[in-house]
Amino acid sequence: MRDFDLLQPQHLSDALDALAQNDSAIRPLAGGTDMLVDIRAQRAKPDVLVSLQNISELRGITRENGTLKIGAATTIAEFLKHPELTKHDALRYAAYVFANPMIRNSATIGGNIGSASPAGDMLPPLLALDAHIELVSKNEARVMPLSDFFLGPRKTAKRANELITSIQLPVISYQSPVSSLQSPVSSAFYKLGLRQADAISLISVAVWIQRDGEKIRDVRIALGAVAPRPMRAIRAEEILRGEIFNEMNLKESARIASEECSPIDDLRASANYRRRMIAVYVRRMLEQAWSKTQ
Amino acid sequence: MQKKTILFSLNGEPREWSVYPNELLLNVLREQEFLTGTKYGCGIGECGACTVHINGEPILSCLTLAIACEGKEILTIEGLAREGKLDPVQIAFLDQTAFQCGFCTPDMILMTRALLNEIPNPTEEQVRDYLRGNLCRCTGYASIMRAALDASVLNAHRSVQSNEE
Repeated sequence: MRDFDLLQPQHLSDALDALAQNDSAIRPLAGGTDMLVDIRAQRAKPDVLVSLQNISELRGITRENGTLKIGAATTIAEFLKHPELTKHDALRYAAYVFANPMIRNSATIGGNIGSASPAGDMLPPLLALDAHIELVSKNEARVMPLSDFFLGPRKTAKRANELITSIQLPVISYQSPVSSLQSPVSSAFYKLGLRQADAISLISVAVWIQRDGEKIRDVRIALGAVAPRPMRAIRAEEILRGEIFNEMNLKESARIASEECSPIDDLRASANYRRRMIAVYVRRMLEQAWSKTQ
Repeated sequence: MQKKTILFSLNGEPREWSVYPNELLLNVLREQEFLTGTKYGCGIGECGACTVHINGEPILSCLTLAIACEGKEILTIEGLAREGKLDPVQIAFLDQTAFQCGFCTPDMILMTRALLNEIPNPTEEQVRDYLRGNLCRCTGYASIMRAALDASVLNAHRSVQSNEE
């Protein structure tokens, strides 16, 4: 494998100092499940890796001011265990179908976002949950919607001197007049692969829905592996927002989602097949999420 | 590149290694310790053959830098039997002849061990899910499934026995 030096800082500030030269040959190393593969395949050619493994500031899951803050070094395995994370069905299911248990123990949420694969499993659920991302450099901290972060396949708005430090999800508190068990919001996720386990997705769909009686108060639909980046299906959402949850609206939304995306033909599936499956799974995920709301 | 000395525990024994930053745990285990039960299959995290436990959790040693193992507890297949006594998972794999060529056997056994540590009585579905990242190219999955399910029973017996002792 290529020669590189490895820094193992204990503190975030030391990691940011190391990255401050804004040199693309100095790269952060999180779980390593993408980076080490990329180095061996000579897709990544770092001279220095800055390991994030020992930085406790990048770990932990906290609630502050209506926001759930997830440390960027949180492993995918944690998404199957932590009570604040498992309550989001779309996230939990995405973690469940993510690679395999060994990879989940190493791979991190910040790494999955930073790798910015159009097929990244955790990305559609995070988009559907309206995640924001915190980027920190030595001199600046900024928060942006995750939907603005992805620029293209493996291209992001992150500068070489920045680290993804946390992912932030809005926490809306719901007060049901009837029962504290009733929740008007729910989410769902599905990944379609060529086999059941350990597959790259052909397509993936995540939805988040907020119910108001028989109407859809708010909805977000996110699609994976059908565009140069994970995307929101904005026009498909607009069809549903404020409307009655019925067959006609669902069909129309699903049809528009399949038009909004821009899949490619590759060795796993044709663009045409992907479009058709988007229509099928957008509809199924809307139905699934709706069925869990009250 | 400079070598760095790291201290850690390997199969219950303290160890000191001097490693380069780009050395993989898999290679150090095989080439410095001659623990060749940990296999080099694909090298890109697709096959599971290089599975070891770090601090009790299964990880892929082909995607782990050796230098990152400072202070950790590493368990390989060679360390699973204790004082000459096979682990119940190993006994179950023998009983079911759950191998042909044997290449995936160390990782299948270590994954089953990790599963039983987490879920003592797994369902068939849970076993399938847990072993999803471990490939067997001799198509021996049926016997591996039987062995994993048997292992949970043997494991429960051993726990009862060791409590009585």
